[in-house]
Amino acid sequence: MNLIGNICSSLFPDLSGDSKNREAVRGIDASIRFPLLALIKSGFVWLIVATVFGLIGSIKLHSPGFLADWSVLTYGKVAPIFWNTLVYGWLFNAGLACAVFLLSRLGGNHAGLGVFLTISVTLWNTGVMAGIIGIMWGEQLPFEWLEFPAFAAPVLFIAFLGIGTWSLLTFRARIHRSSYASQWWILASIFSFSWIYTAAQVMLVCMPAQGAIQTLVNSWYVQNVFGLFIAPLAFATLYYLLPKTLGTAVVGYKYSGWAFWSWFLFASFSGIADLANGPVPAWVSSLGVIATFGLLIPTTTMSIQFLSSLFSRFSVIWDSATARYLFVGCISFQLVMYHEIFGALRGSLETTQFSLYDSGVTQLALFGFAGMTFTGAIYFILPRLLNKELPSTSLIDLQFWSHLMGLILVSIGLISGGTQQGELMNESTAEALVVVKTMQSSFYLTTIGMVFFLIGALASGATYIGIMLSSRTPEESETSLIKEAPELEYSAS
Amino acid sequence: MNRGPFIFLGVFLIVATSWTFVLFKTHQEVGQLTTVLDEDLGKYVPGKTTGAAAHGKEVYQELGCIACHTQQVRVASGMDIARGWGERQSVARDYINDERSLIGNVRIGPDLSNVGARRGEMNWHLLHFYNPQINSKGTNMPAYPFLYEVREVVGEASANALILPEEFSPGEGLEVIPKRKAESLASYMLSLKVDYDLKEAPKSNEIMAEELAVALENAQ
Repeated sequence: MNLIGNICSSLFPDLSGDSKNREAVRGIDASIRFPLLALIKSGFVWLIVATVFGLIGSIKLHSPGFLADWSVLTYGKVAPIFWNTLVYGWLFNAGLACAVFLLSRLGGNHAGLGVFLTISVTLWNTGVMAGIIGIMWGEQLPFEWLEFPAFAAPVLFIAFLGIGTWSLLTFRARIHRSSYASQWWILASIFSFSWIYTAAQVMLVCMPAQGAIQTLVNSWYVQNVFGLFIAPLAFATLYYLLPKTLGTAVVGYKYSGWAFWSWFLFASFSGIADLANGPVPAWVSSLGVIATFGLLIPTTTMSIQFLSSLFSRFSVIWDSATARYLFVGCISFQLVMYHEIFGALRGSLETTQFSLYDSGVTQLALFGFAGMTFTGAIYFILPRLLNKELPSTSLIDLQFWSHLMGLILVSIGLISGGTQQGELMNESTAEALVVVKTMQSSFYLTTIGMVFFLIGALASGATYIGIMLSSRTPEESETSLIKEAPELEYSAS
Repeated sequence: MNRGPFIFLGVFLIVATSWTFVLFKTHQEVGQLTTVLDEDLGKYVPGKTTGAAAHGKEVYQELGCIACHTQQVRVASGMDIARGWGERQSVARDYINDERSLIGNVRIGPDLSNVGARRGEMNWHLLHFYNPQINSKGTNMPAYPFLYEVREVVGEASANALILPEEFSPGEGLEVIPKRKAESLASYMLSLKVDYDLKEAPKSNEIMAEELAVALENAQ
């Protein structure tokens, strides 16, 4: 009974002694509390599911007999389920949670339409669930990150349009006419995803193009999901949370527009580099290589902005859980972009093509850059949304360190192992069995990394349950628990 | 930078340009190819996958074989020709009959575009799917026991029962029968061979010379 009371008091905090300024912010938070909690909760659930499947898949690579009797858990199904839950389950939910929170806070207005948003979020997660069951059932499509069977696509599309419409209306209802970098990134990412998803579905499923073109569409889509959707949401989060957690404006904020446009321009062309020497015209991959090099411009600009801000308040980083996550997110961003840009060079591409190197870089981008940034943001959002403190710092520490360990092990395992695999496979005629044997230690390393990811995911789930069920201390219900500097809310716009 | 429509328009233009240049232009260039008449073979190539092989292609897709196997041969880089995975570059025309492209981009296992030419025996594939360790000891390819039925031998052993080495046998008085999906998948493997030439993908001189030598030997 007490637990139910605690959940109610989480959802409807009745606070006394609040200042007027805080009250306005609280009103905004209250209007988005349900959909936001739905996004965060689903995100954590999918993160646990994704890491479980990631672990199974990784074990299967070194011990192929593991669960081999189960047709629903064969490697060819486990691998796409892992990627799809990671992308559409964890990162979409977590990224959109950040987007919803940022748009309402930065807009400074009641968003309204909370029910509409909750329905869209539920529909989205239903679509993801249907897609995963479809893959297990044997209905998967052979397209990377689009393996969900054709029936899941309309559900996901409608749900996304719902979330997109809500975001647009919230942006329009803002009371501050000027807008902040985070808002541009969020809007642009939502516009882009609707388009690339439509283009990919039409050219692959509704009116399939010829075989070789399908590969091209697929590569274009995968890179754009990261470059035009997931990464922009992570940038939006960083632009908002770095000043918040560090207590200082983003260094060199005036260059943000430049970074924004150049990122979109180059990122939208960059994914096709890895088709080199395949059955598509050669100019396609050359265009991709040039565009990938163009990404040096926004990458450098944003790296200077983010890292200078972080280093200017370095002592704060280890005091604040959120800042710590953002810091690792920024460092991962550097590493990912290093691999993306220099990995697209002809020489390195010819070595690593078709190896697990790409999978390693992608996991570094998804778990490291986006995952760490979004997790940090969620630990910033949750206490504000519920006006409670996070239940246990040791749980947060556990998650942080296990996530970081997982990240290091999986990246080393797949990136260095993949390079080794590529050298043997593409530059020698070594037997396939020799290649597998050489890769064994990398596969084991990845499995250990996945165990760490799972521990981290379970810890984040426990944190969520903990904050929902914990009782509110008298201190938490009376005063402004979170001391914020309201002047930073709309800083440097 | 403060207005939504401005961002909307800018991003729209960028994504639309990317789509036009990367996808639409390529589609116009190499996306509407047709079959061509191969005079040596006396038929239009590439041919369609039909019958059991077509069903096997669906099984290939259902089991996600694409997670580890590609179906494309590269000449400009890599060792595909030296490994005997093919004789010439794979080009867009090779895939025009694929409703769903199975080209793939990960190679944990070998490329399969010519597996039917390398491994022409049905039985090899049936054993390989039942337990890959039989033919390739030490591989990390998973077994697909669920594509087979293990049953008691009643009277005489079935004609299509697998002939297994002793250590892989399910036990005395039991036999392993491939289900339809296993047989179709094996038929699909046998159908995977690029045995026709295309003008846009000439074979290398070494391979032409080898072929000529074989033809001369046969003529004598």
